[in-house]
Amino acid sequence: MLPSRIRAAWDDLTLPDFSSEAWRGVLVSVFLLGFLLGAAYHIGTWAVGSAPGIVWRGAYHVVVVLTYASFWFLLSSYLQNRNAQPTQTFFITVLVGIAYLLLAVLIQTLGDPALGLDYEQRVVESFTSVVKVNLLSFLEISFTMVVLLLLRRLVFYRRTRKSVRNWHLMLFFMVLAGLLTFMKDPSDDLGVLVGIALVPAVGMAVVNSFRVSWIVYLPFREKMATMGLAFFLMVLLGLALGDGVLPEVSSYARFYSYPLTVFALIAGIFGILYCVTTLLSLLFHLPTSSAFKRKADEMAAMQSLTSLISQVLDLEKLSSTIVASPVEAGSADVSWLVLTDGDGQAKLQATHGVSPAEVADAIDYEALLEQVQRREDVLLLDEAPLDRRVRASNGTAFESVLVVPLLTRNAVLGALFVARDVSYGFEKDDIESTRVYAAQAALALENARLFEEQLEKERLHRELTIAREVQQKLLPQSIPQLPGVAVAASSVSAYEVGGDYYDFVQLDDERLAFIVGDVAGKGTSGAFYMAEMQGIFRSLSHLSPDPRSFLAYANRAISSALDRRAFISVIYGVLDTAKEEFQIARAGHCPAAVINLHGEARLLRSGGIGLGLNNGSLFSDSLDVMRVQLQPGDVFVLYTDGVVESRDVDGDEYGYDRLLDSLKEHRHEEVDDLHDALLRDLHEFLGNDEYDDDLTLVVVKWHGVTMQPDVASTRAPATAQTT
Amino acid sequence: MSTFSVSYRSTNGVQILDLHGELDAHTASDLEEAIQSCFEDGSVQLLVNGEELQYISSAGLGVFMAYVEEIREADGDIKIASLQPKVYNVFDLLGFPVLFDICDTEEKALHLFEEGNTKPSNEESS
Repeated sequence: MLPSRIRAAWDDLTLPDFSSEAWRGVLVSVFLLGFLLGAAYHIGTWAVGSAPGIVWRGAYHVVVVLTYASFWFLLSSYLQNRNAQPTQTFFITVLVGIAYLLLAVLIQTLGDPALGLDYEQRVVESFTSVVKVNLLSFLEISFTMVVLLLLRRLVFYRRTRKSVRNWHLMLFFMVLAGLLTFMKDPSDDLGVLVGIALVPAVGMAVVNSFRVSWIVYLPFREKMATMGLAFFLMVLLGLALGDGVLPEVSSYARFYSYPLTVFALIAGIFGILYCVTTLLSLLFHLPTSSAFKRKADEMAAMQSLTSLISQVLDLEKLSSTIVASPVEAGSADVSWLVLTDGDGQAKLQATHGVSPAEVADAIDYEALLEQVQRREDVLLLDEAPLDRRVRASNGTAFESVLVVPLLTRNAVLGALFVARDVSYGFEKDDIESTRVYAAQAALALENARLFEEQLEKERLHRELTIAREVQQKLLPQSIPQLPGVAVAASSVSAYEVGGDYYDFVQLDDERLAFIVGDVAGKGTSGAFYMAEMQGIFRSLSHLSPDPRSFLAYANRAISSALDRRAFISVIYGVLDTAKEEFQIARAGHCPAAVINLHGEARLLRSGGIGLGLNNGSLFSDSLDVMRVQLQPGDVFVLYTDGVVESRDVDGDEYGYDRLLDSLKEHRHEEVDDLHDALLRDLHEFLGNDEYDDDLTLVVVKWHGVTMQPDVASTRAPATAQTT
Repeated sequence: MSTFSVSYRSTNGVQILDLHGELDAHTASDLEEAIQSCFEDGSVQLLVNGEELQYISSAGLGVFMAYVEEIREADGDIKIASLQPKVYNVFDLLGFPVLFDICDTEEKALHLFEEGNTKPSNEESS
C-alpha cells in the first residue's frame, strides 16, 4: 500500500514516553491552560458581543486543537492496559457511555433552553451557553476519545506490525480530515475536500473493526455477555452521535472546534462499526463455541496428562495413567493398553472404563496389535463390530475402535486402544491428538522400563557383591602355622562369585589337611556347591582325614546335593610333619605339581574321578592315593584349571609345561615370592589382568622340621608311590 | 567368540553326533538340546564323535552327565570317539574313561554298541 521506505519510517516513528511523570505533568498543564484559555476566549466574546479578528480566532483554534491533542496523549497513557479482558473492556466503555449521556443530558437542560449561539457574529449569547459550549464539547470529545482508546486494546489483541500500522493510518486520516475543517464556520457544510478525506478514515475504521480475533477464545458465557454489551454500546454511540437525545451537543461542539468535532464523529463511527462486527462475529461463533471449548479442554487435559506421565516411573501406575487420560480428557469412552513382553507376547496391561475380561472377550487385541506393529501406524475401525477381530455386538462400548501403536526409536512397545460407543466416533483431529499422546506415552513407558531394568541391575549387583563377600569369608582367613611348612594361597573369581575353593584344616600338631576344588556348574550355582564343599571339608577332615575315606564320604555327601550336570573336582592332601610324608589324592582334579630342591619336577597324576559323577563303587575303585616322602626344599603346587587352561589372545593355553618351567625357575624363593612369581609368569603369558575362569593357586613348601643338612643331601629325591 | 555346532549321522541304529568347535559354558546348552532331542526321538544309542571338537571345558563335560542315566535305563548308552589328545586329556583328568566308553576310533565304538557293552550304571551301590 505504501512504499516500503515510508512504511519503515512510519513504523520507526516513536513518540515520547507520555506515561512518565514529567510528561504527564506537562500534558495536564497544557490541557488545563488550553481549556481555560478557550473558556476565557468564549467569555471574552460573550462580554464584548463580537468576535475578534482572524488572527485571534486562528490562535484560539490552534490552542483548542493543541489542548485536546495533549488530552489525547494523556488519556492514551492511562488507557494502555495490554491484557484487557474483552468483556471487561466493553463493560467499562458502556459505563463511560452511560455516564456521558447522563451528564450531557443534565448539562443540556441547565438554564436557558435556547441554543444561545450567534453563528453570524461567531459569539456566544449567554453565560449559560459559554458553560455549555465548553463542557458539552469536552464531554463529547473525551467520550469518543475514551471509546477509541478502549477499543484500541481489543484491536491490538495479538497485535502484528500490520495491525498497529493500520490503526495509526486510521488516526492519521482522522486527524487529516479534522484539520481540513480548520477555521470553518460552524454553520458551514463539510465540503467536498473533507468528504474525500473522510473516505480513507472511514475505510481504515472498517479495516480496523475486523480485528476481532479475541472472540474465538471467549468462553460461551462471556460471549453472551459481550454480545449484550456490544449491542448496548452501539445504541449508546448512536444516541450520542445522533440528534435525538442530544440535539444541541453537536452544534456546541462544532461551534467550539470544527476539527475536533469531525475527529469525534469518525471515532464514533469507528465505535459503531466495531460493535457491529463484534456482534456479528459473536453471533456466528456462538454455535461453535461449545465444540471449540470441548476441543480446547481436551487439548489442555491431554497436555497436562502428558506432562504427568513423563514423571511416573512405576510401570503399573504409569499404565493406568496412560489409559485413564484419553477417557478423562473426553476423547474416548473406554481405553486399554496392550504391551508386548520380552518374548513378544501381547499382554493386556491396563484398562479404563471397561474390565479386562470384557476387552478380552470382545476384542482380539493380539491380532490388532500385530497389524499396527506391522504398519507402524494407527488403525481405525469406524464400524468395529463388522471387523472379524471384534466380537462385540452392536450397542456396546466398542462401536468404533482406534488402535495407536506405541513406537520408540527401534521397537513397538505395544498399542493404546481407545473406543467409542458410536460408530464413526473418531475424527481426524482425535486421531492426531491420540497419536501425539501415544508418542509421549511410549516415551514414558520406555523410560519406566529402562528405569526398572536399571533398578534390577543395581539390585542384582548389590546381591552379588554380598554373595562375593560371603564367599570370600568361606576361604581361609589365615594360614595354619606348622613347623617346617610354609604355605601361600590365593583365589580370584572371574565373575562376582566363583566356583573355586581352597582350604586348610590343622588336624593336630603334626598334620595339616589341604583341599583345592573347582565346581563345574551353571553360573552362581557353583558358589553354593562350593559353600557345601567347605562344610564337608571342615567337618569330615577331622573325622576321617585319610584321603581315600575322606573323598569317598565327601563324594557320597555331595552327590545328593548336586545337579546331575554339576560335579566338583578336588585334590585333597594331608601333610604329616612327623612322618615327613604327604598323602595326596585327586578326584578328577588337575594334578598337583611337585618339585624338589634339585629341580626335578613332575605332576602327581593319580587316578580318580570327580565328585558327584558316580555315587557307586566306581568312585572308590578308581581312586588312587599317592604318598610322597618329603625332602626339605620340596614344593607342591595345587591349582585349578584356571591356571593351566587360561588362554592368551592367540588361544594358546598356559599349560602344564610352562607351569613346571616357572616352578623350576623360582623354586628357591620363599613361598610367598614363589607364589607371586608363578602368578606373574601367568599374567605375562596372558598379556592382561583379566581372567575368563576362576583361578586358584596354593603353594606348599617343606623346609624340614629340623635342619639336618647332611641327611637332607644324602637322601634320594622325592619319590612317590601309589597304593 | 567361541563357535559350536552339532551335525547328525546315523549308522546301524546308532545316532552319531559330530561335534564341531568349542564346547564351553556358553555352548553347553546346544549339545544338551541335541542329546535331549535325540533321546526324545527314541534314539538311545548315541555316539559322540569329537574329531572336530577343538576345546572342551568342565561345564561342557557336565552335559554328558545330564542324560546318560536315563539313556542307560532305556538300555542305551552314550559313547565317545575320536577325541583329539588335548580334549581327551580333559575327559581323562576328570575320570570320564571310567564312566564312558571313550574309543580312539568311531569303528571301535560302533563295535562296542554291537556287542551291547555298557559301562556300569550310576545306581549300582558300592
